[in-house]
Amino acid sequence: MQRAIESLGANVIASLERTGRTFNLMLLVLWELVQPPYRFYPIVRQMYFIGARSMVLIVASGVTVGMVMGLQFYNILERFGSVDLLGSGVALSVILELGPVMTALMVVGRAGSSITAEIGIMRITEQIDALECMAVSPHKFLIGPKLIAGVLSVPLLTALFDFVALFGGYFVGVVMFGIGEGSYMNGMIDNVEWSDVRLGLVKSVIFGLLVTLICCSRGFYMHLTKAGSEGAEGVSSATTDAVVLSSISVLFSDFLIGALF
Amino acid sequence: MGSSVESSMECKLKSESGFDLLELSGEVDLQFSPRLREKILGSLKTGNPLLIDMAKVSYIDSSGIASLVEGFQTAKSSKLAYGLLNISSTALQVLTLTRLDKIFNLYSSPEQFKQQL
Amino acid sequence: MSDASQTNNAISIRDLVVDYGPRRILSDVSLDIPMGQIMVIMGQSGAGKTTLLRCMLGLKKPASGSVNILGTDIVTASRHDINRIRKQMGVAFQGGALFSSMSVAENIQLALREHTNLDEKTIEIMTRIKLDMVNMLAAEHLMPSELSGGMTKRAALARAIIMDPKLLFFDEPSAGLDPSTAAELDQLIITLKNTMRMTIIVVTHELDSIFKIADHIAVVSAGRILETGTPQQITSSSNPEIQGMLNRKPRETIVDTDAHLRRLVGG
Repeated sequence: MQRAIESLGANVIASLERTGRTFNLMLLVLWELVQPPYRFYPIVRQMYFIGARSMVLIVASGVTVGMVMGLQFYNILERFGSVDLLGSGVALSVILELGPVMTALMVVGRAGSSITAEIGIMRITEQIDALECMAVSPHKFLIGPKLIAGVLSVPLLTALFDFVALFGGYFVGVVMFGIGEGSYMNGMIDNVEWSDVRLGLVKSVIFGLLVTLICCSRGFYMHLTKAGSEGAEGVSSATTDAVVLSSISVLFSDFLIGALF
Repeated sequence: MGSSVESSMECKLKSESGFDLLELSGEVDLQFSPRLREKILGSLKTGNPLLIDMAKVSYIDSSGIASLVEGFQTAKSSKLAYGLLNISSTALQVLTLTRLDKIFNLYSSPEQFKQQL
Repeated sequence: MSDASQTNNAISIRDLVVDYGPRRILSDVSLDIPMGQIMVIMGQSGAGKTTLLRCMLGLKKPASGSVNILGTDIVTASRHDINRIRKQMGVAFQGGALFSSMSVAENIQLALREHTNLDEKTIEIMTRIKLDMVNMLAAEHLMPSELSGGMTKRAALARAIIMDPKLLFFDEPSAGLDPSTAAELDQLIITLKNTMRMTIIVVTHELDSIFKIADHIAVVSAGRILETGTPQQITSSSNPEIQGMLNRKPRETIVDTDAHLRRLVGG
């Protein structure tokens, strides 16, 4: 029993250490990024990697989610005789919750895990050491562009998700179930405030930062996690950890932000 | 280590009869080689053959050598003569290491160069 | 040992103590590496020579001691000063450590792009000169994943010397190379010392290379420096451990064949 408590305590301490390191990493990277020289091309390249390559996935999942929401809301609203609220229902749930959260989770799977693996492999093959020995800061050169790209790409992808999801809801409501087009559209426009859009945007920015930061950190600090996790095994466990942790962080911070605002 | 007057590079371009003479002295390194490159390419643009006097060069690194190489290639494509004068043994060692000793035309006097024109 | 600032030492290490958590890896290590010479740090795996190298590169902070490189103690120096020293150092890592997302040429040029304002053409020519020096001109646009082991090492060397550094570090240069490529590399190391006046530090356990290239040898064992000296001095050392390392004692012949048979087959 005592051992169980001890190992639990050790795990908690290890988790706190990792969180502290990750937070530290963010501060270090931001500090280095604000110093000249400024390089924009690497950011663009990372935005392509994170953003452009995820677009098909985002569109596919967005349309599907929109259609599912259209279906479910229709079923529920029909019972209360308020199917004219379908547009508002789909729009609000997508813009406030599903858009930011689903997009972030898709990005975790599509880009986040690759980021962890890429940086993790660089760490164990001494490429990060090589950068340091060349007097090139790995924070500024390697992680910085990824962080900025994450903060910029995820909101853009979220907007794309929102757009196609609303279309999916439209398809189900208007085309499949025959709700008036005007009713659907007006429902959207009338009941969605700018504060809702703003909240969705804030969420997507924070999610973008969280996901990229956690995935970078897991790869970057791979060598400091439990000894014996070197090599390919270490990379795959770091990647899994990163995916799990960033997903949970997205969901948890989604609640926090929603509760606070 | 600051850059004292002795360790900086000087290059003076002189007009001789039939060619330009670039007198190089000091240390040609990452800091100063861009200036050398400018001078060489600028001189070649005027259409004169170029002889570079390396007697007073105490140190030349790969950026300096790269500038010399680029000058040579530019001169060749403009069909202008191009040579290095009085190259020191240390600089020659570096050229040998980089396999460029056989590429450049090396001279020990301006008259030798003039004869090639 | 004399004060580093007075003698012509490229690197002076004093009383270095390094721990990894509870384990003490290096104890009271002191070493001088003279300018313009090839110093080979040899020892068996686990002796601590890689840790010593990492301390010299500023990648590992010691628990105590000083590492004076070109006049600056990098243990206490600021990040800015450490980076200033690093620009005069080149490192060829054991696995090459080439950046996987960049071509060979881009790998070599990175330091130039980050630290200088040289013209594009100059950078290109400098890259090609270094590639030619290691006989890899044809590989200019290849990606690291397309290189063989020997090519990777040579590309890593070209990258390490792109800025004509004063100090050059090798971590196990011959590891994984066939004898003729290893011999070529040894020759290149000697030429670099002679022509470009580099101070070269080689960490290795490859005996053949050591005696061909070393001006000085430091023998590391169990986290301490057993002995330093010229190759002749080391070869004639009275220390039995060193003699053991050098002679590669063969395993004892099997005396009791019955017992050995039983060990293998069991029962």
